[in-house]
Amino acid sequence: MRRRDILTAIGGAAASTLPLRAQPLAVPLIGYIGPESPEPFTSRLKAFREGLGESGFTESRNVAIEYRWAQGQYDRLPSLAADLASRKPAVIVAAGGAPAALAAKAATSRITIVFEMGGDPVALGVVDSLSRPGGNLTGVSSLSVEVSRKRLEFMHELLPSATEFAVLANPTSPTVDSQLKNLHAAADALGVRLHVLSTSDEREFEAMFSSVSQLRAGGLVFTSDPYFAFRSQRLAALATRYRVPAITQSRDFPIAGGLMSYGGDFTQSHRRAGLYTGRILSGEKPADLPVQLVTKVEMFVNLKAAGTLGVTLPPSLISSADVVIE
Amino acid sequence: MTRRRLRFSGLFQKYFLVLFLAVVIPLATNGVSEAWFGYRDQRTTLDQLLGVEARSAAAKIQGFLDGITNQLGSLVQLPWTEEPDEQRRIEALRLLRQLPAIVSLTLVDGAGRERLYVSRIGLNRTESRANRSENEAVAGARSSRLWYGEVRYYRDSEPYLTIAIAGNRPSVGVVLAEVNLKLIWDVISAIKVGETGHAFVLDAPGRLVAHPDISLVLRGADEATLAPFRAIREVIRRAGEDVATSWDGQGEAVAAAASPVAGPDWTVVVEQPLSEAYGPIYAALWRTAGLLLAGAALAGLLAYVLASRMTEPIRRLEEGTERIGAGQFDHRIHIATGDELQRLADSFNTMAAELAISQERQERIAKLKRFLAPQVAELVDRKGDGVLEGRRTEVVAVFCDLRGFTAFSARATPDEVMSVLSEYYEALGRIITKYAATLTSFSGDGMMVLVNAPVPVEDPAVHAVDLAMEMQQCVQELVVGWRARGHRIGFGVGLAIGLATVGPIGYESRFDYTAIGTVVNLAARLCASAADREILADVAIAEAVNGKRAMIPLGMRSIKGYDEELPVYGIPFEERRHTA
Repeated sequence: MRRRDILTAIGGAAASTLPLRAQPLAVPLIGYIGPESPEPFTSRLKAFREGLGESGFTESRNVAIEYRWAQGQYDRLPSLAADLASRKPAVIVAAGGAPAALAAKAATSRITIVFEMGGDPVALGVVDSLSRPGGNLTGVSSLSVEVSRKRLEFMHELLPSATEFAVLANPTSPTVDSQLKNLHAAADALGVRLHVLSTSDEREFEAMFSSVSQLRAGGLVFTSDPYFAFRSQRLAALATRYRVPAITQSRDFPIAGGLMSYGGDFTQSHRRAGLYTGRILSGEKPADLPVQLVTKVEMFVNLKAAGTLGVTLPPSLISSADVVIE
Repeated sequence: MTRRRLRFSGLFQKYFLVLFLAVVIPLATNGVSEAWFGYRDQRTTLDQLLGVEARSAAAKIQGFLDGITNQLGSLVQLPWTEEPDEQRRIEALRLLRQLPAIVSLTLVDGAGRERLYVSRIGLNRTESRANRSENEAVAGARSSRLWYGEVRYYRDSEPYLTIAIAGNRPSVGVVLAEVNLKLIWDVISAIKVGETGHAFVLDAPGRLVAHPDISLVLRGADEATLAPFRAIREVIRRAGEDVATSWDGQGEAVAAAASPVAGPDWTVVVEQPLSEAYGPIYAALWRTAGLLLAGAALAGLLAYVLASRMTEPIRRLEEGTERIGAGQFDHRIHIATGDELQRLADSFNTMAAELAISQERQERIAKLKRFLAPQVAELVDRKGDGVLEGRRTEVVAVFCDLRGFTAFSARATPDEVMSVLSEYYEALGRIITKYAATLTSFSGDGMMVLVNAPVPVEDPAVHAVDLAMEMQQCVQELVVGWRARGHRIGFGVGLAIGLATVGPIGYESRFDYTAIGTVVNLAARLCASAADREILADVAIAEAVNGKRAMIPLGMRSIKGYDEELPVYGIPFEERRHTA
């Protein structure tokens, strides 16, 4: 009689734990919002997952990630961010530039947001200060936006006799004004003139290159912008076709056959965004995590492209280059 | 019963406690002292270990700075000319690439003019010739060759340091490098102290220069963040030789040691969680505690067994004595401990056996006394039944009876008769007992008493004479009373000495001790012929007491049953005078 009572009790206890085990909430959810499609993000996602892994989280093992991609249509970002916020994830990761970060910030003031961007997050109004971000945001910024002027300097160093350069800007970028201001100041210091061309649509790229080749511009300098960075392949192909010496922010450009790149190391910034995401999941407060600046700025040059373009890279550029693609 | 139980448990508890403590106290003392010395040793070891870790960490931080300054030295080898130095520009750009921590380089010539500025972020400048001689870094490097600035926080977050190096001649100029100290992270995060310990770097005012958690460094000059680090450094400074223990930012107890980095006047602190640092101590403590517990349990068990073994015989003794005390003399206490307790048990057993014998004797005496004079009973008891066995010996037979009793008993009421007889026998019984004589038989008012058998007495004739005299004295006193009540009763005694066969006669459950022989007949006859107030004895008595007691020869008398006349003696006695 007694034993039966105990067995019944055990059975009851087991039965009561069963629904608990079936709870899907055991695995935290990350909402990931990117401005492009997954393909150009492959290397960045890899870095992000590495960082996440370093802080003890592995996708589909102890964390779930739900992705939202704007497919290059940056005006879709706010609605995607709002949709993601409605899923009530543990943390939202806004990667690939300021637009995604700003869209996420507008979507929620409650869910923690970890951003990955290239501009100055204070100047863009994403956070109040780097050391004490405050609010529900923190993240990583590469120095890409700040170094646009260095790109002009390198192009000038490559072509010291040229007096005019073309600059390509994305008018929809929140950092476009500050970058152009910097570039004009640098142009004044270097004693060169700038032709500023604007586009926010890849269908205009070809016409853009065509017009640069018409100009007497020595070379083309791209402002830092994720929209351009994610279209490095196409830009490299166009630069080769129109024989335009060009420099962009992303290493993908010289790797794809472009001439040069100078910008922040995105693998570092995405990895650190992953690390911060893991730390937030582990219970740390975003206010305690200062915004990180990725100090590593890398320069890639493609000697083959230089040969095709008929330009000679001076020793100073070769010395400065972190990677020289032969 | 309750008291016995209490006394029992008390003794058990005492033994148990003493035995238990005898084992546990040395065990505990040993365990505790071992733990304490282990703890002291471990502290010393830990201090040395952490000291080594701290020096090693400081050497690594120094190595990080040396890696920068050594490379920078190559930029201040050759003297400046008035011409732009393209070679040195390329060298500077190469350095900028090779040393990611350097954000910018400024080269100043011997006259203090800026000749070259290269930066990762800002625009490069060549031959600006701006006067930098007032710059504190330039001045500092000129006076001490190698100059370290103070740590600054770029935008209140990223720590930066200016390093300036002058060449060995003034004309080679000075190189200034802006170093982003965040890059020490690679060095500091690689330093592991034990499994979970780490290192961090503070500058002289106590700002955080490097920490494995970069987010702490990036908080800049945040007092709340820096306070625990400064506290640890202060604790280490005060601890001196001993190992320093404090709490880190997360409130975890840590052991820490520090070592200086000479150039920039920094302090490298290594810390290890106490839980890990004292891991071996804790393990040893747990082990000791486990052994102590096991030892205590074993000691408890042993003490229990021993105390039981010690108290069990005592309990048996107690129980045994109680049973013996209760008269159970056949009870034996079985203790085979081979010690004093066994001896005690044996003597208890012996005592019980003796008590049994003694009791048996007492019972037998009590039984014998009902038939025999107490002296006979004692004799029988002492010498065994043998004394009662039939034999031939010299005895004095004393006969006595009341005169006129038959007539009295016919007249008087039964109560009166019984009262007279009761007084009579009471008085005589006392005298018989006193004289160790044996009452062999009585019937009605007459009785026969034997002297010298079975209890031998010294000088039986005199003894018997005294007995007879006292009988007369006593009975005559009673007679006075009886006569006063109108009963005409007298008392006569006859005695004779001679050989007779004595022994028990009767059947299985009823035996009388008696004497058979002429002396008995003679005594009976003498009694029969004795008048009131008269004691008649034969010639043998008279001869035996001659000179010892007064005898009055009464001449020859014919005695019934005897053919010739026999000489008869009267024994005078003194009547007691009563005032009544």
